Amino acid sequence: MPPFDIDTETIRKLAELMTETGLSEIEMAEGERRIRVSRATVASAAAMVAPAIAASAALATPVNLASHPGAVVSPMVGTAYFQAEPGAPPFVNIGDTIRVGETLLIIEAMKVMNPIKSPKSGVITQILVSDGQPVEYGEPLMIIE
Amino acid sequence: MGIATVAIHSTADADAMHVRLADESVCIGPPSSRESYLNMPAILSAAAITGADAIHPGVGFLSENARFAEMVAEHDIVFIGPSPEHMRIMGDKVTAKQTVANLNLPVVRGSDGAVDGVVEALAAAKEIGFPVLIKASSGGGGKGMKVARSADELGEALSLAQGEARANFGDDSVYIERYLEKPRHIEIQLFGDSHGNAVHLGERDCSIQRRHQKLVEEGPSPALTPAERNAIGALAADTIRKLGYLGAGTMEFLFEDGEFFFMEMNTRLQVEHPVTEAITGIDLVREQILVASGERLSFTQEDVKITGHAIECRINAEHPSTFMPSPGLVRGFHAPGGPGVRIDSGLYSGYRIPSHYDSLIAKLIVHADNRTDCLARLRRALEEFVVDGVDTTLPLHHRLLDEPDFVSGNYNIHWLEHFLARTS
Repeated sequence: MPPFDIDTETIRKLAELMTETGLSEIEMAEGERRIRVSRATVASAAAMVAPAIAASAALATPVNLASHPGAVVSPMVGTAYFQAEPGAPPFVNIGDTIRVGETLLIIEAMKVMNPIKSPKSGVITQILVSDGQPVEYGEPLMIIE
Repeated sequence: MGIATVAIHSTADADAMHVRLADESVCIGPPSSRESYLNMPAILSAAAITGADAIHPGVGFLSENARFAEMVAEHDIVFIGPSPEHMRIMGDKVTAKQTVANLNLPVVRGSDGAVDGVVEALAAAKEIGFPVLIKASSGGGGKGMKVARSADELGEALSLAQGEARANFGDDSVYIERYLEKPRHIEIQLFGDSHGNAVHLGERDCSIQRRHQKLVEEGPSPALTPAERNAIGALAADTIRKLGYLGAGTMEFLFEDGEFFFMEMNTRLQVEHPVTEAITGIDLVREQILVASGERLSFTQEDVKITGHAIECRINAEHPSTFMPSPGLVRGFHAPGGPGVRIDSGLYSGYRIPSHYDSLIAKLIVHADNRTDCLARLRRALEEFVVDGVDTTLPLHHRLLDEPDFVSGNYNIHWLEHFLARTS
């Protein structure tokens, strides 16, 4: 369940290009989007299974934005919900000014709703996950600057 | 088996091989085990959000935690392992001994619970037979244990043990067991299914230990005759049949002078299970999954044939003589291969061994037609095994192959520590 869209077409093209030219790694960057496709060649011993092409995509979300100074990361595993209950208005929107301690969203884990409070004050510039999306520990949820 | 997998991991293990190989992964917490691999709500949430049908608890961590097994079941997820009840019975060493003793399995002779004062201790010791071991009831790690070889030594040994127990565990309650001078650690691999089948898959000899940690395991044991093997195997299998035990389990015995003494039962798969896979040709993890799915074991007791000999070396990221842990970057890694050589490892060139967890980084399992050929193949495999950038116990395994006692199979659970003390 990768929490971001994978541009499979681009990756396929890069992989074909790699095979044709015999390169072992190609990285492509455009603005904040970055894709790296590399071929890991290792000894073929039993436990050292290395996929021929390892697509380590670093598009917008996880790797880059987890270290963004304004990133609010998930403290737990669960499902993200943006409103108190279905049909209710969302807790926050992009552009809102937030104070420390205000509820940003809910993460539900094992039928328990956990309100996630903002660790800082500022303006919400990005919301990185969608309503009902599963999130893992450490995953960036929003950017507050 | 065509089953999709989800790997759970802490932030420290984000680049671990199992995470890279699994179909999906979920980060469940920070590096500390308590907040990740021991974090039941996080693990259950990860199973819920990925729609997992079953959880394999692996080894250590929550694999023998009855409460966790119960919670998994309450969430309508299959726990690949035995029932919580059996985990509880075998998890408590006292009830485990009582349970198997009632089912006619031989146990280490001991006092019935704690002994109060010298008079009671003496009576218990005389009945058990000297030498005896006085053990702290709340103890562990070899602390609060004193040997008394005769009635004369008992008084002093008792007060020393009680003093140490009080200092280390805040509880001076002690019990007494027969002390075995040079036992071997022999464990029996067992399997049960929900159709009434209960089988044994032979033994593993795990006597090469340092501080109660196994370093080398082999099967079959050089010390057992076929008659002894079949007898203890049948007895152990019968015990789990009476219990209705499901899945994989291992009964650990101390073996001395032809006698077996039950020590404990591990209600999970063991680290050294590949030794049994090598000599029986049976895929134990596959059988675990079959049993957990409600299917029959894919074999009967008659189908179990022990073929050849297998030895497993546990390779730890530690200095080979000081045993100082050596986490860090693995700059070069080359695994041996060829017939009869298996490596179970998450290592790769460029992998950074984290400092937060166990130091075991690879298992080398070698199989051949007989023990002599197995030792020769093991020597060759060790010579080809390269781990560059961190200290490992590979040089220690090399040294063992030059030791006459190891080569002849003439060792017991104290042998390795004596060898290390002699040669340091």
